[in-house]
Amino acid sequence: MEEKEIREAALKAIGDSKDLKSLEEVRISYLGKKGSVAALMARIKDLDPAERGAYGAKINGLRNEVEGAYNQKKTELEKEALEQKLKEEAIDLSLPGYEFRQGYRHPYHLIIDEVTAIFADLGFEVKEGRDVETEDYNFTYLNVPKDHPAREMQDTFYLEQGGLLLRTQTSAEQAHAMQEKFDKGPIKMICPGKTYRRDDDDPTHSHQFGQIEGLLIGKDISMADLKGTLELFVKRMFGEKRSIRFRSSYFPFTEPSVEVDVSCAKCGGKGCQMCKGTGYIEILGAGEVHPAVLRHGGYDPDVYSGFAFGVGIERVAMLRYGIDDIRRFYQNDVRFLKSF
Amino acid sequence: MKVSFNWLKTMVDLTGISPEEAAEKLTSAGVECEGLTHLATGTNLVVGEILQCSPVEGSDHLHLLQVDEGNKYGIVQIVCGAPNARAGLKVIVARPGAVLAEDKKIEKGTIKGIESDGMCCSLLELGVDRKYLSEKQIAGIEELPKEAKPGDEEVLSFLGLDDTVLELSVLPSRPDILSVENVARELSVLFERPFKEETKTLEGTFETAYAPKSETPLCPQFSLIEVRGLENGPSPLWLRRRLEGSGIRSIDKIVDIGNYVMLLTGRPLNMYDADKVKGKSLTAKLATPGPWKGMDEKTYELSGKEIGIYDEENNLACLAGILTSDEARVDEKTKNVLVECAYFDGVAIRRATVTLGLSSDSSTRFVRGIDPTRAERTLGYVATLFKELCEAKEISKPNTYDEIGREKTVIPFTSDYINKRLGTDILEEEIVALLKRDGLEIEKDGSGLKAIVPSYRLDLKEACDLSEEVIRLLGYDAIKSTFPKMELSLGGLTPYQQKRRSIRNFLTSRGLIEALTYSLVGEKEKDDYAYFGAKESYSLLNPLSPERKFLRKSLLPSLLLSASYNLSHQNEDFALFEVSDIDGVNYQGEHLAIVALGEEHLMGRLKRRPYDFYYVKGLFEAILGILGITPSRLAIAPLSKDEAGEDFHPYRSVKVSLGKKTVGVFGEPHPKARDRYGLGKTPAALLELDLKALLEVPTGNKKAAVPPRFPKIRRDLSLLIDEKVSAASLLTAAKKASALIKEAEVFDVYEGKGLPEGKKSVALCFFLYDETKTLREEEAAEAMQKAEAALLRLGAEVRS
Ligand SMILES: [Zn+2]
Repeated sequence: MEEKEIREAALKAIGDSKDLKSLEEVRISYLGKKGSVAALMARIKDLDPAERGAYGAKINGLRNEVEGAYNQKKTELEKEALEQKLKEEAIDLSLPGYEFRQGYRHPYHLIIDEVTAIFADLGFEVKEGRDVETEDYNFTYLNVPKDHPAREMQDTFYLEQGGLLLRTQTSAEQAHAMQEKFDKGPIKMICPGKTYRRDDDDPTHSHQFGQIEGLLIGKDISMADLKGTLELFVKRMFGEKRSIRFRSSYFPFTEPSVEVDVSCAKCGGKGCQMCKGTGYIEILGAGEVHPAVLRHGGYDPDVYSGFAFGVGIERVAMLRYGIDDIRRFYQNDVRFLKSF
Repeated sequence: MKVSFNWLKTMVDLTGISPEEAAEKLTSAGVECEGLTHLATGTNLVVGEILQCSPVEGSDHLHLLQVDEGNKYGIVQIVCGAPNARAGLKVIVARPGAVLAEDKKIEKGTIKGIESDGMCCSLLELGVDRKYLSEKQIAGIEELPKEAKPGDEEVLSFLGLDDTVLELSVLPSRPDILSVENVARELSVLFERPFKEETKTLEGTFETAYAPKSETPLCPQFSLIEVRGLENGPSPLWLRRRLEGSGIRSIDKIVDIGNYVMLLTGRPLNMYDADKVKGKSLTAKLATPGPWKGMDEKTYELSGKEIGIYDEENNLACLAGILTSDEARVDEKTKNVLVECAYFDGVAIRRATVTLGLSSDSSTRFVRGIDPTRAERTLGYVATLFKELCEAKEISKPNTYDEIGREKTVIPFTSDYINKRLGTDILEEEIVALLKRDGLEIEKDGSGLKAIVPSYRLDLKEACDLSEEVIRLLGYDAIKSTFPKMELSLGGLTPYQQKRRSIRNFLTSRGLIEALTYSLVGEKEKDDYAYFGAKESYSLLNPLSPERKFLRKSLLPSLLLSASYNLSHQNEDFALFEVSDIDGVNYQGEHLAIVALGEEHLMGRLKRRPYDFYYVKGLFEAILGILGITPSRLAIAPLSKDEAGEDFHPYRSVKVSLGKKTVGVFGEPHPKARDRYGLGKTPAALLELDLKALLEVPTGNKKAAVPPRFPKIRRDLSLLIDEKVSAASLLTAAKKASALIKEAEVFDVYEGKGLPEGKKSVALCFFLYDETKTLREEEAAEAMQKAEAALLRLGAEVRS
C-alpha cells in the first residue's frame, strides 16, 4: 500500500475505534514495530540515496499525523471510559443517610433543667432530697401540727414502715437544708423532685407529680426580695415581656403567703381563653418563711429571715408545650416523647 | 362557699360596686372568688295576666292566650304550649326583643298561622338551676302569686331572682369567711364602706327547764333555747331565695331558719323536736360504741370517739355537729323545738366525719374553727325568726353551759418589723389605720405596739400574721422589687449532678429517649430485676390500688411496662432510659435503666441492627468512659442461672460488681420475662446500673499519654477452639505471653458449617512494638511464638 492509502486507512481505523482495546490494535497494526508505517519506512533502503531524505521526511510526517490522531483518540476514549466507570458507580442519593439522630429529652426533665439553670446562675445550690420522708420533715417542721387536716390519710401516702410517708411537697427539703447548714449562714437552694398525693389519676390530677422548691435565707430578706427574684426567674423562663402579680394566699410554712401569677404569654394580659379572661396565669406559690419553720431548722427568726417558693413542674410543662393531660408524662408513648 | 350578693348588700353599703369588682378585690386579698352566677337572667320581662285561654285548632297542646300586660303594653296575643296555661293565671312574659338564659332571643313570630307577640316563660328558661324547681315548675310556665301586678317590669326583683352568687374558695386560714356576716365585713374593710351588723336579737321571755350539759372537754360550750307553740311549713320566698343563693335547698321553716342563721353567723345550730326528747336535759359526751340510726335512716357504727348529745334516758339525740337522730329530728308536725348552739372540738368532729364518711355544712365549720363568742347572739337571731316566721307563742332565754376560754389574742409588734418583712416603707400611722379598719384594736406597748385580735380572726397569732394583713389590705402592688443582699456563695451543680447530667446528655445524643415512670408498682413487679441494695420494699399503708402499693426497688419493671405499652400501640424500634431515685428499706440509691426494643435503625429501615446484649454493653462501656472509671476497677461476670432467674437470659447477661457490691446488670430478657411484660419475640436489651455507686467512684486525674516513637508490627492468628472459651480469655493469655504485644483484638468469629462439633474459629490480630527501639522481625516472631504457646495451653489449634 502506498502512503496515501495508509494514511486514510489509519485515520479511519482510529476514528472508528470504539474503545481503548480496539484503538490499541489499530496502533499496533499501523504504528507498531511490524506495522504498516514501519513497513513503509523499511522501503527506504531500496531507494536511491538522493531520494531517501525526502521519503523519510514524508513517512515521518505520516507517522506524526497518525500518532497525533491516535493520541487524540486515546485521550477521548480514556475520558469516555472514566465517565463510564463513574457512571457505573452511581448510587441512589435519595436513600436515608446513616443515623446519628439525637434522642429526646422528657418534658418533665426539660423544665427541671431549665429552672435549675436559671437558679444555678443566681448562685443557688441544687438539693434533691428523698421521696421517702418522715412526718416531721414533711409536716411538723413546716408548721403543720399534728391533727392538721393536711395530714389526712386521704391526701397523704403513709408507709407501713412506721413514721414514714411519701413526701407531699418538696418543701420537705427546707428543714433538711437548714439543719445541714445550721447557723453556718445564708442558704440559697432549689430542690426539684418527685412528690406524691393520694389523688386518683385523671387529666389534671396525678398521684405522682414534680415540684421545684426554692429557699433563700439570709438577713433582712423581704417580700420585695422575693418579688425581685421571681421577676428575674419569670422573665428568663417565660420571656422578657412577662410581669408577675401577687395574690394573697395561705401555706402553713410561709407568712405572708402569695400565689404568683404571670401575665399571659398569649394575650399579654388583655385576657384570652388560655388565661380564662384574667390576663394572668397562676404559676407558683410563695411567701416569706414562717418564723416557726426557721426555728425548726435551727435558725433564729430574730436574726434570719427568708423566702420560699414552689413551682409545679408538670403545670409549667403543660403551659409551655400545650400538653393536654398530665398522664401523658408517665405513659412514655414514644410518639409523644418525640415532640421534645 | 356560695354567697348572695343581695344578702351582702343588706350589711355593707356596696352602692356602685358590681359583683365582678367585689369578686376581684376579694380574690386579690386572699378570698378567692372562683365564679359568679346570676340566679336568673332575662331582659324585656313583664308580668302578664291571662284573660282568655282557648285551644288552637289543629294542635293538641297549643293555646291562644289574651294576656293583659298592664297600661304600657295593653293586651297582647300569645301562642303558648304550656299545659298549665289557663285564664286568670299571672305569668312572666318575655316581650319581643327579650334575651333569656343561654342567650335565647325572643322575637315576634307566627305559630300555626297565628301571630304570637312574645312568650310566657318558666323559671328554667330564665336560667334558674333545675335543682331548685319542682317537676311542675319545670314542665310548665311559672305561676306567679296573686299579688303580682300586670305591667310590672321588675320581674326578677319581684321574684327575688335579681341576685348574683359569689362562689368563694375559703382558705384553711380563714374559717371566719364561712359566715356571710364576715364576708360582708371583709368587703367593708376592702372597700372602706360602713358595715352594719345584723341586730335582730330577741330576748327570751322565760327560763327554760331544759339544761345543756357537757361531760367532755370536746364540748366546752353548749347553749340552748326552747321555742314553744310554733307552726312549721314552707318558708317564705325571701328565705328560700337566700338559701338557694347559698346553694342550700329549702326544706321547711324550722330547718331553713337553722341553716340561714348558720350561714349568717358561722355558728352551726341543731334543732330537736322538744316533744321527742326524753327528760329535761341534753348532755354532750363521748358516744357509746355500737350501731346507731341517723335521720337519713342509715345505720352507722360508732367507735366511741365521736361526741354525742344524749337525752336523760341516754338516747343519742344527735351526733354532735354531724347528724341528728331519726328519733329527735323535727318534722312538719313539730310544735316545740330545742335549738342547740354549741362549740365542738374540730379535731374530734373531723375524725368522726372521716370514720363515718359523713360531712355537712355544720361539720365543715367545726372542723375549720368557729368564733366562740357568738352563741347567744346567734340564738337571739334564731328566736327572732321563729317569732316572725313561725308565730312561736313563747321563746325562752338561752340556757348556757360555758367553760370556754375567751382571752383575746394580743400580738406585740413594731411597724419596723412589718416593713422589714415586707420590704416596704409604710408609715406607722398607716399600718395602725389599716389594722384598725380590719377590726383589730391597736395600743401602745412600751416602745412598740400591740394588736388585740377580734374573736372571729382565728388565724392571727403572731406578728408575721399582721404583716400579711397589712399588705393584703394595702394590695401587693405596694411591694417594689429588690434583690436579696447577701454574702457570695458557690452555687450550681455539684460534680455528682454534673456527671449525671453528662450521662443523660450522652444517652440522648445516642438516640435514646428519656422516660419518666411512676415510683409505685404492684405486687407483680415489685421483686423483678431487684439486683441492688434494696432488699425490702417500702409499702403503702393506704394505697389507692394494688397496682400502686410498693415503692420500686428497681427501674427496669417500670420501663418494661412503658416499653410494652408502646408495643401495644404499634410503636417499635426505640430505646428508653430513665434516671431516678430508688428508695427501699435501708437503701437510698439512684439508678439508670435502659430498655431497648426492636431494632436500631442505622440507615432508616435499610440497615438495622437488632437491640441485643452488645448494644447495652457498648453503652455501659461508654458510660464508664464518661465517668473516667477504668474498666479494670469493676468485675464483670455472667449472671449465674440463679441470679438470672426468670428476669435475664442466663447466657446473654452479665452483672457488674464493684468489690462485693453489685452495681449493674445488663443483657437480654428471659423468655418468661418477655411473657410477663408482653414483649413477644421483639428483640430486646436491658440495663440497670446503680448510678449513685458509679458516680461516687473516685477517679484520678487524667494523665497525658506519650505516643510511641517506633513503628508497630501487626500479626494475625486464626484459631480453632472450644466454643465455650471466651474471646477475652484468649486476648488476655496472648498479651500476658509477651510484653511486646501491646494491643490485641478479635477481628472475626465463626461458628457453624465446616467446623468440628463444639468448636469455633476465632481470628485475632496483635500489634507489637518496643518503646525503646524499632522492633526487629525476629523479635516479633519470638513474641508471637510465646503467644501461640499460651493459646495452645487454652486448647486452641492454630490454623494459620
Ligand atoms: Zn391570656
